[in-house]
Amino acid sequence: MANTWGYGAMTNHIGDMQNSKAIIIFGANPASNHPIAMQHILKAKEQNGAKIIVIDPRFTKTAAKSDVYCRIRTGTDIAFMYGMIRLIRENNWVDKSFIADRVYGMEDIFTECEKFTPEHVEDVTGCPKELLIQATTAFATAEPGCLIWNQGWTQHTIGSSNTRLGSILQLTLGNMGKPGGGCNILRGHDNVQASTDLGCLADTLPGYYGLSEGSWRYFSKQWNVDYEWMKSRFTSKAMMEAKGFSLGLWIHGVLDKENAANNADTPLKALVCIGNGISTITQTHKVKEALDKLDLVVFIDPYVNDAAVITTRSDNMFLLPAASQVETSGTVVNTARSAQWRSKVVEPLYEARPDHEILFDFAKRMGFYDQYIAGMGKGKNFTWPEDATDEIARSLKTIGFQGRTASRIKKHTANWHLFDSVSLKGKGVTTKEYYGLPWPCWNEKHPGSPVLYNINLPVSQGGMGFRNRFGTERNGADLLSAKGSAPVGSRIDGGYAEITSKNIEELAGITLTDAEKKAVEGKNWKTDDSGILVDKALAAGLAPYGNARARTIVWNFIDHIPKHREPLHSFRPDLVKKYPATKDQKNHYRTNVRYESEQNAQKWVENYPINIVSGRIVEHMGTGTETRASKYLAELSGEMYGEVHPNLAAKLGIKDNEMMWVYGTGEGKIKIKCKYSLRVDENSVFLPQNFSGVWSGESLESRYPKGTAPHSFGESSNQVTSYGYDQQTSCPETKCSLVRLERA
Amino acid sequence: MSKPDFARMKFYCDENLCIDCNGCVVACKEAHEVPVGVNRRKVVTVNEGVVGKEISLSMACMHCADAPCQQVCPTDCFYIRADGIVLHDKDVCIGCGYCLYACPFGAPQFPQDGAFGTKGKMDKCTMCAGGPEETNSHEEFHKYGQNRISEGKVPMCASMCSTKALLVGDADEVALIKTYRAATKGKGIATEPMGW
Repeated sequence: MANTWGYGAMTNHIGDMQNSKAIIIFGANPASNHPIAMQHILKAKEQNGAKIIVIDPRFTKTAAKSDVYCRIRTGTDIAFMYGMIRLIRENNWVDKSFIADRVYGMEDIFTECEKFTPEHVEDVTGCPKELLIQATTAFATAEPGCLIWNQGWTQHTIGSSNTRLGSILQLTLGNMGKPGGGCNILRGHDNVQASTDLGCLADTLPGYYGLSEGSWRYFSKQWNVDYEWMKSRFTSKAMMEAKGFSLGLWIHGVLDKENAANNADTPLKALVCIGNGISTITQTHKVKEALDKLDLVVFIDPYVNDAAVITTRSDNMFLLPAASQVETSGTVVNTARSAQWRSKVVEPLYEARPDHEILFDFAKRMGFYDQYIAGMGKGKNFTWPEDATDEIARSLKTIGFQGRTASRIKKHTANWHLFDSVSLKGKGVTTKEYYGLPWPCWNEKHPGSPVLYNINLPVSQGGMGFRNRFGTERNGADLLSAKGSAPVGSRIDGGYAEITSKNIEELAGITLTDAEKKAVEGKNWKTDDSGILVDKALAAGLAPYGNARARTIVWNFIDHIPKHREPLHSFRPDLVKKYPATKDQKNHYRTNVRYESEQNAQKWVENYPINIVSGRIVEHMGTGTETRASKYLAELSGEMYGEVHPNLAAKLGIKDNEMMWVYGTGEGKIKIKCKYSLRVDENSVFLPQNFSGVWSGESLESRYPKGTAPHSFGESSNQVTSYGYDQQTSCPETKCSLVRLERA
Repeated sequence: MSKPDFARMKFYCDENLCIDCNGCVVACKEAHEVPVGVNRRKVVTVNEGVVGKEISLSMACMHCADAPCQQVCPTDCFYIRADGIVLHDKDVCIGCGYCLYACPFGAPQFPQDGAFGTKGKMDKCTMCAGGPEETNSHEEFHKYGQNRISEGKVPMCASMCSTKALLVGDADEVALIKTYRAATKGKGIATEPMGW
């Protein structure tokens, strides 16, 4: 999404879904995974007459509430969407003026979509063409329609293409930048958005600043440390600026010798895991191997991380008990960019300590505590977490955090009852502000931006066009938006570049004083600590990041426009030739990753003839480490199972509630209960991904430290999910795999 | 006899909104510290996985006006409050299970523990109104769970319902919410989520 229009975040918000006239849900199951979001969806259905359209390989509890349900084969969303775009064009439902004014490169999409006739879509996806037409008609004729997706789209080798084409679908219909429209990505749990905002990623510093020298210099300044000192912490400048191993790929940095060449000639030797269920990534048997091989493993978690039980290492593994969310305070950010203050309810129990204390102690012992806390600018007398919150607000200018100070967020939380949940608008002391100051919140007077890219509001009230992020011109075509498509009250009636000290006077029609000139010299909106550039831009009705076109062509990606590619382990090998995987990649997040060669390594479907559908269940969260420790949740959902269509089970000779072996394309196998279910089709097995503590038929309960074992255990589905990583983001492929089922 | 200024307390669950998330079930168990195996409330899904036919519904004791459990109980342990909430006295209950025969909804629950799985005292939904012990006493909590009604609070299940499918309260109030929802159907967003 960031590569389409500038920011990678949910564009609208949960309450805003109520304004939709049609809601299309791909690869998401909010009834099970986001029950509160489902309230807003059902309210849109009942009160606003919204049509609910669900596209999913599995007939989920969300699908049970839909008006139109389309069952597709896993990993064929792109074919389905191109089929939709083709029909939208054929029926003249395209928002022509929106595209003409605010989008670059739509012609290539319209050419590509011609391949996907309803008949061809039916062949590729398995969904009857009548349903494709019905779903497209319901969605395209509604005004406005919103699109929801979730991990069902991102955890694929072509996940980044799924999300791009979804964004493009919304551009085609002109559904962007308006209440009731937009791309509403439901994050897996609270604070996921904040984690990426703060740069808990392998390829960027906080605020999506990237890893270039300029970014490091900017952050060295924000953190009040010397750039040269910072550089001296790294092996080399090249490694400082190179993407790291990602969550999906780190295991290959430990296990595969060839990747040392991408990592300053060394394999990974230590792992510190803070609050991450690392067994939810694919190939858990490889995770075990990697954990066994490392020199040092540290888990920082309120519960015993199930990966600590999976490894059989006997030394140099440490479990540091972390405080839970009710034992600490600070901001929490929801899926829709809004922040809320979380207060401490009780002091940490027993030996548990808050994460920041543990990290401060690490810093002290490693000798950089003074530098670590320097960014707050208060020496050793800082107030946690308020001073850190203000430091974040000051530093993350790219996403407009300047207005999100601790005191403003606290004020919103304290006045929670004064906000409208549909529009997020405040009343009383928070009049004209939006709940939780959804970013961008450009300065301390800004109200926050509930709906991104909405040009029907002035920038100072949360309006903006698309971000100017990809230059101003490409092959002679203008990348800035057309005349007449600027936010209300803009001094410039059309597109303009991002604000810098060089163009501010011309664009804003002002003359800076000498003092102001000196303050902003050589700066742009992302680096100007004085705030002058942003303030002057807002006064002239300009968005600090410019006003440009969204793009469908991402020229720095492998696929310039999103392309359907068959899964590496495809159920339809006959389509692999037409829609092959990309070429193998060298040094993809420091790892040499197989695509084409894995896809063609063998005729996978001959030995592994059944598709996997994976997902979460409502009772459990992530690896289930926390929820399986609840006796009531364990009572409701206490064991691992696989949903199998009775016809498939009958063919395999497996009775309902009998045990079966599931063999993955890697070395993993799991022994689980067969549950007859009509939710899946006759070629698939659904595996919930929330279990752990049983390893290929063997219980690991005895490996938990005394008194810490959860109430329920089960095989981890990711023991049988296959090798495969997103071709751009390296997100592991958990959603398309093949397996073999046998009666146990 | 003076007329009470309230109707009878009722549950209502909208099958168009219930998403089988079991939030009500867990909220109930956590609030009252109900033993594992005893389900004062259950979510039932019918036609699971059948396209176009799947529905879910949360059910508990329906607090009948003419409660069959009360009529068949050999020790007469049931009593019906003025607001219609059906409660029972565990000190009088002999765990015979007649009420389970009589109940049209499968509401009465029996603890499974003890030698040979003897039934033990019956347990059921109290609509968060406790029992005959002193209100909000330790004894009341131990035998019947929280008494939220005495504090003017909505029962735990409905307060936790993620989609507001499950409503509970004075039957007039529940009917009014339903009427309001019907009146606003298809007319755009007219209410805040919590009260729709």
